Amino acid sequence: MDVTREEIVDTLLREVGKCRACRFCVDVCPAYQATEGIESMSPYGRLQILKYLLNGTLDEDDPSVYCLYSCLQCGRCDLLCRAKGQNLEVSYLIRLGKYFLSQGLVKGERNEKV
Amino acid sequence: MKRSKRFVSEVLTTLKDNIQRTGDPLGIKDVYWTQWAKGLNLPRQGDTVLLTGRMYQMLPYITQVTKIISSARPFLSRSGLGAMVNMGNRLMGDKVIRFRALGSRTIRKKSREVLQGIVSALSAAGSMPAYLYEDEPYSGVLLYDLGLDAYIEEHIKRVYHVLKAHHVNRVICVDPHTTFMLRKVYPAHIDHFDIEVRHYLEVLSENAGMLGDSCKKALNREYVIHDSCYLTRELGVVEQVRKVAGTIGITLKEPENTKLDTSCCGGPIEYAFHDLTERVSRTRVSELAGISRNIIVECPICLINLSKYEKEMGVKVWDMGELLYEACKT
Repeated sequence: MDVTREEIVDTLLREVGKCRACRFCVDVCPAYQATEGIESMSPYGRLQILKYLLNGTLDEDDPSVYCLYSCLQCGRCDLLCRAKGQNLEVSYLIRLGKYFLSQGLVKGERNEKV
Repeated sequence: MKRSKRFVSEVLTTLKDNIQRTGDPLGIKDVYWTQWAKGLNLPRQGDTVLLTGRMYQMLPYITQVTKIISSARPFLSRSGLGAMVNMGNRLMGDKVIRFRALGSRTIRKKSREVLQGIVSALSAAGSMPAYLYEDEPYSGVLLYDLGLDAYIEEHIKRVYHVLKAHHVNRVICVDPHTTFMLRKVYPAHIDHFDIEVRHYLEVLSENAGMLGDSCKKALNREYVIHDSCYLTRELGVVEQVRKVAGTIGITLKEPENTKLDTSCCGGPIEYAFHDLTERVSRTRVSELAGISRNIIVECPICLINLSKYEKEMGVKVWDMGELLYEACKT
């Protein structure tokens, strides 16, 4: 994929910024249900983590990696977001967040940072 | 959560290395994905091919890999030891996995019957695809799921080249993940992607009449259905499985979260977060068991995940392919 890190950051920040924080996606997330109400384990929580990772407020540390990589990519949040008229591709954004993180996680070649 | 960063890093690096080295996510060099087709004499070349994406054949190995990862997690999370474990994986990993998988007879039989059942049903419905045997590629879905986009295009182009070298114009996929990759992700990476991608349930439901006529026996049983996330929400395959089930005499009951609103089995994160997967899948099995003890799934990941609770929760998990095998076998 021939896109720069800056392009990914811009796209993600723009898309994540469209979230109206209605939180309808929170309750339907199986990972959120399984952790009995930890909001950072919900789609909304993951988008917030992603936003703060992108703008440099959060570090790429154990909790942020855990929260983003524990997304099941089941797409149930997308369905809710569509139904509520916001139409964000939440799970796709979280997957792009994994892509963003993976650049610093995969060892070897140009990526070794861990 | 502790040491998640280093652990995920090791998993991603191993996966990327395995696929670049062998084209297989498990890094297994020997051909393990063709045994199910032994004796079927499927044509090796044709306009339409059955693309298993190795997913069902991988199940005995996935069971072992997740066990190994769970027990190796404390070592993988530490820098020096993680490198040693990775080195071990490169040198001996596939041999260890293959040896440990020898004992997984039940899941091996299940995956064989699923694929043979699908082929029998397609044949009964008037569609006999070719099979690429040892040339059959892996779709690369794990690279996509884990956000390894930097490495996915190279793999996708390699797979596309293999398919075109075999003059393939149409593929019939057997699992939701491979179908999703070829239908939704490949066209974004290949200019003028020209391969028609179908899921076997779409093909069978369009030819349900022929399938019903050729079916050897009606099963006359009741099951609760666990829909696949990818098949329903990403691919829109919802009613097809219900139509095919009805054709072979199966009555399907619907659980609380079903069709487009289906709930995940927890499988996609089992590679790294076993405890969370267990909580998600246990919740789903309880929900399904409240409706019926017999559960139908249509995805290999759901099959392996929900099957773990058969003894504990007194349920029996069947893949749609297994029921087709039973209905169509001579």
